[in-house]
Amino acid sequence: MSTIVIGLSLSFLLFLLAAGLTLIFGMLGVINFAHGALYMLGAYVCFQIVNWTGSFWIGLLLAPIVVAALGAAMEMSALKPVYERDHIYQLLLTFGFILVIEEAVKIVWGLDYKQVPTPDLFSQPVALFGSQIPSYRLFIIGFGATVSLALFLLLERSRLGMVIRAASSDADMAQTLGIDVAKVRTAVFALGAGLAALGGVVAAPLVPIELGMGFSVIIDCFVVVIIGGLGNIRGAILAALLLGMARAAGFTYAPEWVELITFVLLIATLLTRPAGFFSRKGRAA
Amino acid sequence: MTTSHLGRLAMAAIIAAMILVPVIQASEESLNLVSLILIWALFAIGFDLIFGMAGMLSFGHAALFGSGGYALTLLVTKAGVGFLPALGAAGIVGAIMAFGLSIFALRVSGLFFSLLTLALAQLVYILASTKLRNYTGGLDGIPGVPRPELFGIDFYNNRNFYYFLIVVFIVGLAVMALLRASPFGKALKAVQANDVRAAQIGYNVQRLRQCGFMVSGFYAGVSGALLASLMFYISPQMLHWTTSGDVLIMTVLGGKGTLLGPILGVAVFEVLKEKLSQYTQHWYGILGLIFILCTIFLPNGLAGLFARKAAGRPGDAP
Repeated sequence: MSTIVIGLSLSFLLFLLAAGLTLIFGMLGVINFAHGALYMLGAYVCFQIVNWTGSFWIGLLLAPIVVAALGAAMEMSALKPVYERDHIYQLLLTFGFILVIEEAVKIVWGLDYKQVPTPDLFSQPVALFGSQIPSYRLFIIGFGATVSLALFLLLERSRLGMVIRAASSDADMAQTLGIDVAKVRTAVFALGAGLAALGGVVAAPLVPIELGMGFSVIIDCFVVVIIGGLGNIRGAILAALLLGMARAAGFTYAPEWVELITFVLLIATLLTRPAGFFSRKGRAA
Repeated sequence: MTTSHLGRLAMAAIIAAMILVPVIQASEESLNLVSLILIWALFAIGFDLIFGMAGMLSFGHAALFGSGGYALTLLVTKAGVGFLPALGAAGIVGAIMAFGLSIFALRVSGLFFSLLTLALAQLVYILASTKLRNYTGGLDGIPGVPRPELFGIDFYNNRNFYYFLIVVFIVGLAVMALLRASPFGKALKAVQANDVRAAQIGYNVQRLRQCGFMVSGFYAGVSGALLASLMFYISPQMLHWTTSGDVLIMTVLGGKGTLLGPILGVAVFEVLKEKLSQYTQHWYGILGLIFILCTIFLPNGLAGLFARKAAGRPGDAP
């Protein structure tokens, strides 16, 4: 039972992160290499806020907003000038941001790792189907599901989502119709950055907050996006579930090999369905 | 697409300077610096064969670089193979690794190729630092990587080893210049310009990409072996993704798609690193900032600056 709960909480965490990555890619055509760095930044900012205020919940609310604002600044200062160029330049730029963000974190918070305590509300384990489950894991599942649903409704059902989709499918036409495409792009990038930070905040009580934390996460995110099929939100959900559950099972049954599970899934996908398991079309870009 | 005269002159000047520096100025630090530049430049021109020429942004070159280093180390220390054959074998191991990566990575293209090479290289890093601990020494690495002994010359003398590096570098540079000008190089260019059309006029696009990747892997393997030999030490750090990042930064700084660019980029990177690290421990962040500015304002790198002045055509690299 606890394996399932851990697997699900891992899955929702992964999905939260992969959703931001897929969102930015789907709408802007940019693979945000700095996504993991923003995740890390979210965790560090949360740590700082918890340090100041003593409340995890204020961190949960504010840290994503801070990082989203930074994302908006990144988009306006650096990405805007290179949208018209080859995709490689956007990859290069976001890679450059990894270096700068990591160095900034090093300057502000130093090299030793930080910790955020589990919020009091969820510090006690609960009994579920006869086994003790850490309640914070349950919170992640509920919170992740809520955010995913909200994101889905925002993109598919709201007017704002319609504007975003219009701006991404035909920027010129949207511009002609009076949509400020530049603003929409900034907003989407900020939203994606905020989602990355949200992932970092949610993960903060579970993992040591340290410099390298963004990198292993970004690899997992890429793998989710590749397995799920590009720009495919439903695929990303299923792939995140697959990967999260596989990792949780790995922790329980084969802890020696858990690091390799991600890669095994990745390679199996590539050998059988190079375009991703849940994608019907071939892959572009 | 002719190499500008200025570019050639600059190239000749750089090579001449590299040969002369140790003769005129004998300080160990400067000798070490130019040795590093030579080795990384060999890596970078190999990297640029596919990045600049074929438009494939590999984030997995650290795996090729590092496995070359490990191949040489293990062959010389454990199997008793001579240095030169081991150096060749390191290149071949790099090419074989490149072949292995390409089997998976070439199933996707564009940005996904970058992500996949990154993920697969990270797999190699994890394997080397954990599962293959018995051979690689785990995170501690292997100290005491040897240097060559040829014709009774002592290559543990840094200056002698430097001359050995110069010879390897010039051979590598000449071969690369020939390759880039050959029909193979032109075909790679065609693949970058438009892979659909290249396929239609009869090129086997995937085969070309794969061959390019393997040649690039050979260069990476040899240079990785030389670096291990220069430092007398190898660790999984050589396989880490930041190594792939470094060669990428160097190539972009100098100017991708040119022969001169990556060499220039390596020289600028190493000198900047040397100078910046004297003033601040946060030099890597400053380099990152320079990299970002360069990507926005100098898409063709420093070599692009040269070419613009020489040819008067904006944005056209030599």
